Amino acid sequence: MLYTAFDEIPRADYAAAEYILADCCEKFPSCSALSKRLAELYGASLSSRTSLSWSGTRCTGFFASVLDDRYALDGEEKLEREMCDILCECLLNPKAENGAFDKQVTALQKAQLIDDIDSIINERSAYAAQRANMTAFKGEPFEQPVTGSHEQAEKVTAQSAYSAYRKMLKTARIDILCAGASDFSDAEKVFSERFSKIERCDIYEFEKKPSALKSAPETVRDTLPMQQAILRMYFKAPNIDDRFANSLMCLILGGMTTSRFFVNIREKQSLCYYCNCMGNRFLRSMTAAAGVEPCNIERAKDAVLAELRGICENGVTEEELKSAKLELYNTLSSMGDNPAAMVSWYHSQRLDDEMLSPEEYFARIEEVDAKRVRAAAREYTLDTVYTLCPPDNDTENSPENGGQDEL
Amino acid sequence: MIEKIYNDIIKETCLKYTHESGLEVYMLPMEGYSAVSAQFSVRFGSVDNAFKLDNGEHRKIPDGTAHYLEHKLFESEEKDAFKLFAQTGASCNACTSYDYTQYYFSCAENFGENLEILLDFVQQPYFTPENVEKERGIIGQEITMYRDSPNWRVFTNLLAGMYKENPVRIDIAGTVDSIAEITDEILYDCYNVFYSPDNMSLCIAGKFDPDEAVRICGERLKNRAPVGTGTADFNEPRAAAQKLVELSMPVAKPIFEIGFKRPPLDGAEQLSEYFGFDILFETIFGRTSDFFTDMRDKGLINDQFANGVLSGRGFFIPFLRGESDDTLAVAEEVGRVIRAFKASPPAREDFERIKRSTYGSLVRDFTNADSVASTLSEAALRGLSPFSMIDAAASASYEQMTALLSNLDEDNICISIIKGE
Repeated sequence: MLYTAFDEIPRADYAAAEYILADCCEKFPSCSALSKRLAELYGASLSSRTSLSWSGTRCTGFFASVLDDRYALDGEEKLEREMCDILCECLLNPKAENGAFDKQVTALQKAQLIDDIDSIINERSAYAAQRANMTAFKGEPFEQPVTGSHEQAEKVTAQSAYSAYRKMLKTARIDILCAGASDFSDAEKVFSERFSKIERCDIYEFEKKPSALKSAPETVRDTLPMQQAILRMYFKAPNIDDRFANSLMCLILGGMTTSRFFVNIREKQSLCYYCNCMGNRFLRSMTAAAGVEPCNIERAKDAVLAELRGICENGVTEEELKSAKLELYNTLSSMGDNPAAMVSWYHSQRLDDEMLSPEEYFARIEEVDAKRVRAAAREYTLDTVYTLCPPDNDTENSPENGGQDEL
Repeated sequence: MIEKIYNDIIKETCLKYTHESGLEVYMLPMEGYSAVSAQFSVRFGSVDNAFKLDNGEHRKIPDGTAHYLEHKLFESEEKDAFKLFAQTGASCNACTSYDYTQYYFSCAENFGENLEILLDFVQQPYFTPENVEKERGIIGQEITMYRDSPNWRVFTNLLAGMYKENPVRIDIAGTVDSIAEITDEILYDCYNVFYSPDNMSLCIAGKFDPDEAVRICGERLKNRAPVGTGTADFNEPRAAAQKLVELSMPVAKPIFEIGFKRPPLDGAEQLSEYFGFDILFETIFGRTSDFFTDMRDKGLINDQFANGVLSGRGFFIPFLRGESDDTLAVAEEVGRVIRAFKASPPAREDFERIKRSTYGSLVRDFTNADSVASTLSEAALRGLSPFSMIDAAASASYEQMTALLSNLDEDNICISIIKGE
């Protein structure tokens, strides 16, 4: 994982660099050559993804997965070592010369980046989230997609992407996370040898900055030819500092099949197929999302507000608290079975003041009582209401601009 | 009586127990794991659209009934299944496919209690006019959500274009109109016909005690004979019903699926052909192929291009999917490549490379409780031994692949395209 700041270099250049690095390298100079070697390694995988982590950090991740050596048919194959070598080749020895990536590879990956940026519209809920973020996180890193805009991507060149790559390699905070049935001594050897040779300075320091709460909630409505409307409501709690109670509160409100949203909005009112909420502890925000009939947007919005208000005013029951803790326990205690989940867990712990193992985290969850859950709920204030609707939806109750809602 | 089934390729042993009701239980305990996954499956999916009762009466089932029944089975007169699982901390859900419905949970603790809840709620239907009515709005919204998804529509349009009579051409959840016809009486009839133990399977993998599982099955499973039989008979022509299906929706770049209509197969034959086509298509159209490189270089496809095989009771479709501004040019090139390989088959080393990759992905599936349970369920639903997928992949041969290639009719295809608006 390479963590970097949002700087003067356009986001699309960093994203293009990530695409190019994962496509081929000097040793495997084409996508086909690299794919052939991965297939020979029993269908090993190499992928990459740039995400916007936490409040202001770009996270460029390169993920490699390979079978444990004991499953190799040829007995003596060292799959882990070779996979680490391939990952290092892609990251540290790309197909490049004279301060620029290979032109043909850049052209292909630039086109792919543009396609990926544009194709967000194919996934309606992701598109709604991206559009909503523009209002919910105006003026903050989350406002724009982490891969940059179509216009930025059009301007990417073999030189500009390479410059972004070199800066990333030099200044990024780099974490290497390994999980699975191995002691990773081979991996450690390969990575420490290869990474010791790169020049490093001005290493990026994590920034923790909660999202700013608007002075009054903002309501925005977009249209798209579609049948179902998507509602997204953003709540913010700039002063919340109890991550454990917050996590349980989000589960009880809309994060499990016995949540308030599921039971009251979906099952009792039959308003939607899905209605859930998700917290972001670094932005100190919580987002409720639902797919509803366009004529039911206002009802769904009122229902979400009523459920949050219910917890703020009356708290949660001991049964709800117990269910949420059990749900978390189940997830955390089975995490060790899944290497990808373990990598993801420790990646998510990176910015916290203390890095906790799943067991340590659950011990802290166990201490939370209903009072703390209620207190966490009371920290939240409505910030943004976003709807994506069909064009001919009745707009009478959906102010285009400046509408206000009270929690 | 518990039968031990050992697989020499992955060195695993699966336990098979057959309950007196006829239900087959497959169990694979996994040492060193924390979680357990259990899947209770029934051979009742959206393609099962008619049945005959023992009294001779023939009934047509409204489209989307299997999926509707799945939603309603979680409800009971007292506490619904979600609430019961919440008290034990298990994560539970269900899914309906074209030819089966599956109820499952995974948990780190309280395995016995969770298995009891699973067996009980699936065996205790509780349908009333009121609770069936209540679900209509929820499922209506689910249908609408999928209808707004271009990726789902390009896939369902492919099936609708490819098949003339086979009910696989209809969306699994049905339509808002078809679910309006579903009543509590229809759900009970379908339950009584299809949800009999001998038409179901239970597969468990992960950290658990097989003796405890067998004991609970003995205590909780009911002996129920079906009151009728499924009669989804239809005469499906061999040729694709339509060559091209197009729909306009907001998409950035047109998306497509190209499906090859193949005769349906059952059991081991189906599995063998599944892996045969899986390896064949990955060899000639996958990321290691010249086709992929050339077409990507020409800008006709991008990294979204993929291949796969959709198979089930009564349908078998190797397919290609992706994004392109000129799908018809892609399809033309696909046909040309198939003809070229028929004349000069792919190199044996290319086949071996992809076969090795397929082996790797199947072995990986055996390192996770959820995917092991799914692999066992898939085999059980096809009436095959638990390791049949591993065996089928291991026995795939170059000769089989070239034989499949030589009798592949590259013209018997349907192309589904979602164009931008």
